[in-house]
Amino acid sequence: MRDHLRAASGQVIAIGVALLMGAIIILMVGESPLHVFMTLLRGAFGDQEKIAGTLLQTTPILICGVAACIGLRGGMFNVGIEGQLFLGGFAAAWVGFAMPLPAGIHTLAALALAVVAGAAWVAIPAYFRARYNTNEVVSTILSNYVAVLLTSYFTIFLFKRPGGWSETPPILATSYLPEIFTFSRLNWGLVIGLVLAVGAALVFRYTKWGYGVTMVGSAPKFAEYGGVNVKRQGFLVLLLSGAVGGLAGGVETLGVHHRFMEGFAPGFGFDGLIAALLANGSPVATIFTALFFGALRNGSLLLEVDTSASREIITVIQALIILSVSAQVLVRKRGDSQAGERRWKF
Amino acid sequence: MEILDKLINVALIAATLRTTAPILLVALGGSFTTKAGIFNIGLEGQMLVGAFFAVLGSIWTGSALAGVACGVAAALVFALVFAVLVVSFKANEVVVGLALNILAGGMTISLMKAIFGTRGSIVGHGIVGLPKVQLPGARDLLGSWAPLISGFTPLVYAAFIAVPLLVVCYNRTRLGLYIRVVGEKPEAAEALGISITRVRYIASLLCGLLAGLAGAHLSLGYITMFTENMSSGRGFMAVAILIFSNGDPLKVLAGCLLFGFADAFSLRLQTFGYPSYLVLTVPYVVALIALFALSYRARPRIIAETLESMRKLLSVDKNTEAGGKNPQ
Repeated sequence: MRDHLRAASGQVIAIGVALLMGAIIILMVGESPLHVFMTLLRGAFGDQEKIAGTLLQTTPILICGVAACIGLRGGMFNVGIEGQLFLGGFAAAWVGFAMPLPAGIHTLAALALAVVAGAAWVAIPAYFRARYNTNEVVSTILSNYVAVLLTSYFTIFLFKRPGGWSETPPILATSYLPEIFTFSRLNWGLVIGLVLAVGAALVFRYTKWGYGVTMVGSAPKFAEYGGVNVKRQGFLVLLLSGAVGGLAGGVETLGVHHRFMEGFAPGFGFDGLIAALLANGSPVATIFTALFFGALRNGSLLLEVDTSASREIITVIQALIILSVSAQVLVRKRGDSQAGERRWKF
Repeated sequence: MEILDKLINVALIAATLRTTAPILLVALGGSFTTKAGIFNIGLEGQMLVGAFFAVLGSIWTGSALAGVACGVAAALVFALVFAVLVVSFKANEVVVGLALNILAGGMTISLMKAIFGTRGSIVGHGIVGLPKVQLPGARDLLGSWAPLISGFTPLVYAAFIAVPLLVVCYNRTRLGLYIRVVGEKPEAAEALGISITRVRYIASLLCGLLAGLAGAHLSLGYITMFTENMSSGRGFMAVAILIFSNGDPLKVLAGCLLFGFADAFSLRLQTFGYPSYLVLTVPYVVALIALFALSYRARPRIIAETLESMRKLLSVDKNTEAGGKNPQ
């Protein structure tokens, strides 16, 4: 417990340092840091609609964060969550508008196809990573670009809504993820995210399979001696991570947009990865970091209206946070790293 | 056949050389870090800030050269931050690289909004592009083939000249040898008294230099504008090339020509009315296929090369030892 507290306080210090550097950059773009931070806070938690909006933004970040956690635990950087999200989103939309099914079953079928799409999209990079040790970072990043362009192609050339503007026809009401409140689009996707995060944490903590994955990630040689099939495990970890990434897209389509459109969820995949990194690969901690980033994102909408600063300033702050966390983790563990061998410990 | 004639001609080859240049520059930069044993996924971000600040410098000073200098300086700052975190603090290079890429994307957009009050792109504002160098006598010598060697911007020439320079650097200079030793056998480097930290810093900064040039070529070369995320994955393609070429300059060149061709070819296909979204995926798909196809073969080769360089190093050791003992 004390270790956890110390780790958490380290992250908080790192966030403080990052906010300080962010303040300097905000000064550079000619705004008052205090005004910007207060606007962010007001935009994120100002009233109940704003809070619901923050939770709405948190949902995809949380699910993508869990996807990233699964990968990180198994020693895999799934940087392709963005692409899996787009394909999952499109797959869910397709089931939503093209396949009339009874309510409930329709939603489940759409989510199931989103999961399959996400897993299928990462399957090739995962296979080559497991079999031939092909760097998964590069292959998944490059596949993001293909996924985004491919879904745009599907949307605009194959399934465009007649008269619409780069979007598919709306999905049928039977496939909607139900909303929780009447005043916001906040939906049961958030609950799915929370259940996933807690479920993943339990699997890692209490199951043999979860233990094996953590071992493969932190000490592959040990895992191999212990009888874990490291290659197969690595493949499955990436596949599972991709499946959850696809689910994030499905939730976003069925819960928020009710259609697929070009560029429907920009950056959620990366935000999820950053949230998972900040949480040090712990799914439960990812709930909080995802909430933090969701608040930043929702606050940035007001930022764009109320100040001259661009909403991308929050991207800068996020990147600075990760940079200072990466430095600080290492200050703490400075001694035990050898030349030529560096790892982020999870 | 007629379509093929229209698709593949002198103009296409010249276009290939043009589109190859930025990816070649950034990949050659990455070659330094790859050889020094650093996995540098941050190339994309260095290139992006290079492109942005090159435009900024060009507007401020009214000179393309000063613009290039500004772009390079910005990329060097990013490279320095990367080196401080990865080399000195021993941070995870993937995490730092990705974070710097995200920082580059957010920072350029924020600054664009702050300085120009616009989103999306910077066009006009008196951006001075790089001049095109017409080689004297090229037209007499090659006739209609002249566009293959003449009429490029200086950075295109710089990119292709850099290839033999890097070959010489790695094989004939002390710095090149040190970089390779540090990358392949850090323990040996340590034993020989080479400062791993210093060599990796130098490699990172050289990388930033070339990535900055690559960025400047993007925004001041053939189109004089900056758009959001205009590096559009070229840095990542460069990393893919570096993985399967192991940073060898000649193999890097071959890989970059392949992507330059894919890039130029896809641009050309677009003009023939193929859906642009599918056509735009071509370079990325080519990169992925090459990565998958070649990664299987790369592993044994890297191991073999490390063994070979170890042998060389050991024989150097013996020679110096023998040299030291002889006088006794």
